[in-house]
Amino acid sequence: MSEKKMMHVLPLEAYTSQAWFDREQEMIFSKTWAYAGFAEDISEPGQYISVQAGLNNIFIVMGRDRRLRAFHNICRHRGTQLIRAVGKAQKALTCPYHDWTYDLEGNLISVPEEQSEFKDLDKSCLGLKKASVDMWRGMLFVHPNPDAGSIMEWFGEVEPHLGPHNIEELVEYPDARVEYEIKANWKIVVENYIDVYHLAHLHSGTLAMYDHAKAEYGFFGPHYAFWEPLSEDYAKDIEKNAPTPLVLPLDQLGASVPMLFPGIGLAESESNWATFIITPLGPQLSRVENRVRLKNASEWEFQKQQWRSASFWSKSIKGKYSPEAAEHDDDPMASGDFTAEDIYACEQQQKSLKSPYFEVGASAQNGESPVRQHQQVVLDFVEGRYL
Amino acid sequence: MSDFHRLKVQDTKSLIGGMAKSVMFEVSTELTETFLWKAGQHLTLRFELNGEEQRRSYSISSSPFSGDPLRITVKRVKDGLVSNHINDNVKAGDIIEVMPPFGGFYLEPGETKRRTHYFFGAGSGITPLFSMLDSVMCAEPYSVAYLAYGNKNHKSIIFKDEFDALCDANKDRLAVLHVISDSSLWSGFTPWRKGIIDKAAIEALINENPPYAQDAQYYICGPGGMNTAVKTALMSFDVPADRIHMESYGGMVEVDDSVKGRAAKVEIALQGQTHLINMAADQTVLQAARAAGLSPPFSCQSGVCGACRGKLNKGTVHMRASMALEDKEIQQGAILTCQSVATSDSLSISYG
Ligand code: FES
Ligand code: FES
Ligand SMILES: [Fe+2]
Repeated sequence: MSEKKMMHVLPLEAYTSQAWFDREQEMIFSKTWAYAGFAEDISEPGQYISVQAGLNNIFIVMGRDRRLRAFHNICRHRGTQLIRAVGKAQKALTCPYHDWTYDLEGNLISVPEEQSEFKDLDKSCLGLKKASVDMWRGMLFVHPNPDAGSIMEWFGEVEPHLGPHNIEELVEYPDARVEYEIKANWKIVVENYIDVYHLAHLHSGTLAMYDHAKAEYGFFGPHYAFWEPLSEDYAKDIEKNAPTPLVLPLDQLGASVPMLFPGIGLAESESNWATFIITPLGPQLSRVENRVRLKNASEWEFQKQQWRSASFWSKSIKGKYSPEAAEHDDDPMASGDFTAEDIYACEQQQKSLKSPYFEVGASAQNGESPVRQHQQVVLDFVEGRYL
Repeated sequence: MSDFHRLKVQDTKSLIGGMAKSVMFEVSTELTETFLWKAGQHLTLRFELNGEEQRRSYSISSSPFSGDPLRITVKRVKDGLVSNHINDNVKAGDIIEVMPPFGGFYLEPGETKRRTHYFFGAGSGITPLFSMLDSVMCAEPYSVAYLAYGNKNHKSIIFKDEFDALCDANKDRLAVLHVISDSSLWSGFTPWRKGIIDKAAIEALINENPPYAQDAQYYICGPGGMNTAVKTALMSFDVPADRIHMESYGGMVEVDDSVKGRAAKVEIALQGQTHLINMAADQTVLQAARAAGLSPPFSCQSGVCGACRGKLNKGTVHMRASMALEDKEIQQGAILTCQSVATSDSLSISYG
C-alpha cells in the first residue's frame, strides 16, 4: 500500500472519515469551552438556552441573583433531555417523560408517586449534573466540567491580541443573523478563515479595503490572532467611506480576524463586530452561524452613513469573475460577496478530497503557516497532548 | 500556641475627625514570614490597662498585595476601653504586643481568576473589606468588584479618599456605592442611596450591576444585625450559601448578655489530664480555668478567633458571642470557652 495521504500535518482522512469526526467530537468539542450565544440571549431570571457542545448538551439558566448556572441537560431518572432549545421557567424544570422536577439550582425537588414507587429515594443525590458557564467578550461560553476553572486560563493569552472594541457597548443587528451549511469538513472552513495567502487572490475584488501585505498574525496557545490595517484608499476618507458608523477610534482602525479554538471565528473591524461560529455536523458538513454587532446609533445615522459611503463601495467592490463570465445569476464568484467566495472555495476543495488522484502540493511559507499550525493543534488535541 | 510579638508602630493616622485611627506596624525581617496575612484576617493586640490585661482583635485594613504596611484601623466605641486607648494614646514608635494574623474570613486573589465580587460593608466593618477589595484590584486583574458601603453621614466614611482613588485607577472594574442613613443630606455629597443596606438596596445593586464574570462571590462585614440581614436577603434571591462570606467585625461582635451564668463544677480535660475546678457565676470557662492555674489555649477573648474552642460533653452553657463557630459546629457541641458561662451546675469540657 502506498503511504498515507497527508494534508500537510494531518492525514487526509481527518477531513473525510467518520472515525476522525467522532474522535474530534470527543477530544476537542467535548472538552473545551464552547460558544453558547450572545450575553443578551439570557436577560432575565428563569430564562434558559441549551447548546450542543460536542457530545454534551448543556443548558444555561439565570437565577434570581442574575447569575448563570449551567447543567447537563439530562434528567437524572432515565436521561431524557429536560428542556428544549430556549424558554423561560418560573421556578422549576420538569422532565416531560415522568415529571421529575428540579429547581433552578438543579436540585431534584419532586418525584411523582415517590412514596409508593421509590421507597428510600435519596433525592439529594439526584440533582442535575453541573457544568461551567461564563461570559466573555459579550458571548456566553459553557464547559462540561463543573471545575473547569477560569475561562481566562483558556483565553487569557490571546485576549491582548484581539480587537480593542468595547463589545458591551455595541448592539446586535438582528437582520444580519444567519445560519447556513457548508458542504465541507469544519477544518476546511477554519483553514480558509486563517489562510492569509488567499486574501489577495480569491477576494481580489471584495476585500481590497484592507492592506493584506501589512497583516500581522500568529497563534497564542490553540488560538489564532490576525490583524491588518485599512488600505490607504479606504482609510484616507474613512469617516465618509465606512459602510456603517465607526466602532473604533480613528487611531485604532483596522480589522482583527481571530479564530479561537475550536472554530470560534470573530471579525472585529472598524465598522462592526461579528461572530463566525463553525459547528461540525458530519465529516463533510459544517454549520456556520453569523451574528453582528454595530454601533449603538439611530437609524438615521446609519442611513446617512450608507448614503455617504455608497460611492466608495460601488467602485470598490466587484466579483472575482465579471458578470459576463458568471455561470448563472447567483454565481458566488460574481457576487461581490467575500463570504460567498469563501463558501464556494471550501466546497470546491472538499469535493476533490475523495479523488484517488488528490494530493496537496506546496504550502506557502508565510501566508499558509496558520493552516499548518492549526492542523498541529488539532493533532495535539486528538492525540491527547493538550488537555 | 501562637505567641505575642512586640511590633513597633511605624506611624498612625487619625481618620473621620478623630473618631478612628489607623495604626501601621513595622515588621522586622525575621517576623515577615510570621506576619504574612490574607486579606480579611485580623490581628489580636494585647494591652495592659489599669493593671489588667486586655486583648482585642482588629481586622487588618491594608492589602498584602499593595506594598502598604501592616495596618489596623480602629474606630472609637462608646466607653470602649481599648478602642479609646488606641485613638487617644498610640503613636509612632510605641511597641505593641501583637499576635500573628488569624481568621477564616479572607479572600485570596488569583492572577487568572475571573470573578464578580460583591462587598457589603458598613461603619468600621469596612476594614477587612478594604483589604480584600484593594487585593482584588492589585492581584486579580480579570475580576470586577462592587461595594455597597453604609454610613451614618458623609463625615463618618472611613477610607473615603482611598476608595475614590481606587475607583479612579480602576474605572472599568470597581464601583463603590455609598448608602447614607442620615436623612439630612445638605453636605453636597450625593450617595448612591439613602437609608441602609437592606433587601431593596441589595436588589438594586445586583439588578444595576448583574455579574459579568459568572463566578460571583459575596462578602459581608457590618455591625449588629446587618450580617444576618444581608445574608438572608441574598439567600432570598437564591444566592447559594457557599458563595456568601461574612464576619462580624472584631470590635462589634454581637454580644448577648441576656443570660446570667451560675456557679458550677467543671471537669476539664486538657493535654491528657483531667481537672476538677470551681467556676463562679460571673466567670467564663476560660477565666475559671486560668484562675485555677491551668493554661488553656486562647487568643482574642472576644469570640472572634476560635482559638479557645472546646467541646462541651456534659451540661449546658450560654455563649455571649459565637462568631467564630458555624451553627453546625455548635450543634456538635463546640463552644468558645472565652464566651461561655455555665447554665447548669456541672459541666464537662474537653480541649481538642
Ligand atoms: S426520564 Fe425524566 S422523569 Fe423519567
Ligand atoms: S479566644 Fe478568640 S474566640 Fe475565644
Ligand atoms: Fe476568505
